[in-house]
Amino acid sequence: MNGMGLTRRGALLGAGAGVLAARRAWAAAPPGVNIGFFTETKPTMVAKNLGWFEEGAGAKLAWTEMGSGADINTAITAGSCDIGLATGSVATAAAISQGLPLQLVGIVDNIGPGEDMTVRTAAGIKSPADFKGKKVATPFGSTSHFRLLGFLKTNGLTQRDVTVLDMKPAAIQAAWSRGEIDAAYVWPPARSKIAENGGTPLKTWDTLEKAGYVIADLIVVRTGFAQQYPDAVVGFLKAYDRALAMWQDKPEEAAVIVAKEAGVTPAVATADMKEYDFVPFREQAGPQWLGAPGVPGKFAQVLKSTADFLVEQRSIRNAPGLDAFQKAINTDFIRKAFG
Amino acid sequence: MPRALPSWAIAGLSAALLLALWIGVTSGGLVRDLFLPGPRDLWDGLTELVQEGYKGRSILEHMGMSLLRVGAGFLTGAAVGTLLGLGMGFAPRLDAAASPFIEFLRPLPQLAYLVLLIVWLGIGESSKITMLFLAALPVAAVAARDGVRNVPSARLQTARALGASDWQVLRHVVLPSALPEVLIGARLAAGIVYGTLIAAEIIAGSNGIGWMIMDAGRFLRSDYVFAGIAMIGLAGIAIDRILVWVERRVVHWAGR
Repeated sequence: MNGMGLTRRGALLGAGAGVLAARRAWAAAPPGVNIGFFTETKPTMVAKNLGWFEEGAGAKLAWTEMGSGADINTAITAGSCDIGLATGSVATAAAISQGLPLQLVGIVDNIGPGEDMTVRTAAGIKSPADFKGKKVATPFGSTSHFRLLGFLKTNGLTQRDVTVLDMKPAAIQAAWSRGEIDAAYVWPPARSKIAENGGTPLKTWDTLEKAGYVIADLIVVRTGFAQQYPDAVVGFLKAYDRALAMWQDKPEEAAVIVAKEAGVTPAVATADMKEYDFVPFREQAGPQWLGAPGVPGKFAQVLKSTADFLVEQRSIRNAPGLDAFQKAINTDFIRKAFG
Repeated sequence: MPRALPSWAIAGLSAALLLALWIGVTSGGLVRDLFLPGPRDLWDGLTELVQEGYKGRSILEHMGMSLLRVGAGFLTGAAVGTLLGLGMGFAPRLDAAASPFIEFLRPLPQLAYLVLLIVWLGIGESSKITMLFLAALPVAAVAARDGVRNVPSARLQTARALGASDWQVLRHVVLPSALPEVLIGARLAAGIVYGTLIAAEIIAGSNGIGWMIMDAGRFLRSDYVFAGIAMIGLAGIAIDRILVWVERRVVHWAGR
């Protein structure tokens, strides 16, 4: 897969040399951009596969697969990651609280039903009370973990009643196949795989979302990079918008590409993508989401309450006021690209 | 010529120098507490951990679980490895049969077979301890085998010339000669097991000091991370000291 990426990149460099030269004439393009990403079933994979991101940023991209949004935070802080693609809102809320040098420039999706509980059918879990004495796995520090903790809290369960295990998606699948865990809160493709393997989805997201446990996947940019290469950021957002349009207009075609990148069948890719609420950029620069200058968006409050919850969990030391979250959201790039 | 400083004084001086550097760098606001917490932050983090525990478990519970895993993995791995290694040193056929596996296992990063261990053994203690066992075994085996091989042949020949049986040669010549290397192997194995602890606690954790360090590191709670590193480091030194003490008691003849 790596080798293929290289040849693709080579071909693209050749073909896009003219475009690149034209770009350099009016805007300083970055010499290279480090992208932290996750392999997942989303339209982002279309823009990656077809080289649209590369074209949009006007630079060679170095893709690094990250283990979690927290890894993206660390890499951005260390200056070795410029753009975090589809990092979780929980990690981002922590990053903003800690004053890490990053900006939130756009939303990929509102996770909504995309991440939810899957219970082992044989475990006979029907209601929250049935979770007592059971083992539930989730990758700690993730958006799923946040939802699971919210689920326990809103149902009056403690981590003494339920054994909550910290496992990566691959480990969840392995333990699931041995019948060692009773439930898991995780995202696709692991989620769809365990559901096929003797699992039943248990809907928790709707009540949790109403209770304030909203989670989303975001695009974050290292502040220094955003200041130095605003055009690359704008081009990057446009590339994703083009991929999202493809998923909406030609879903079958998009699903084939996403499936190839994520290593699942096109049918699974389609089913996974239907679960997410991909918010178009044009709607994001409004009060409903990220807001615009003078029009604060609701999303800052989502990040603030997420951070407050993390403080309660002692995952971070303290959370700043709402204005710090509003300041970390920068919709200039969206407005420049689609305004 | 100035009088040479005793080594404990040099160790103390280097620790004091590091401490001064640490205080200087952190109190001047030169680095953010996210990257390097100051002594005050670290102390606060440490007392918080001791008083309130971490994510529902007391710090003693975390430390205890980790030491239990290290102990079980080390003792089983070193015991089996040493027996195997002695056999390999004594019987060339066994050496030929077992060597490829030992040589293959020794440099293998434990994370490489993490998922396999979960699939085979599950997410409980057995997979964690097996990982530590597999880390200790080859190191102990190689040390024991080399210990037996390095027994001077003159000693073996003398013993046989005096009419000693195979068993007597093993019991009275090979074992005492090989023991110093066996114990050095055990110390190396303990170090490797200890180093593998974090990898082992990645398997479905929610307890253990290694897991705690990783979990706190996720959101850059560097005060907890440093506190955890300090605890794990001090415990590591203590384990090593114990092994050195055992070594001195058991093989007081080494090097003579």
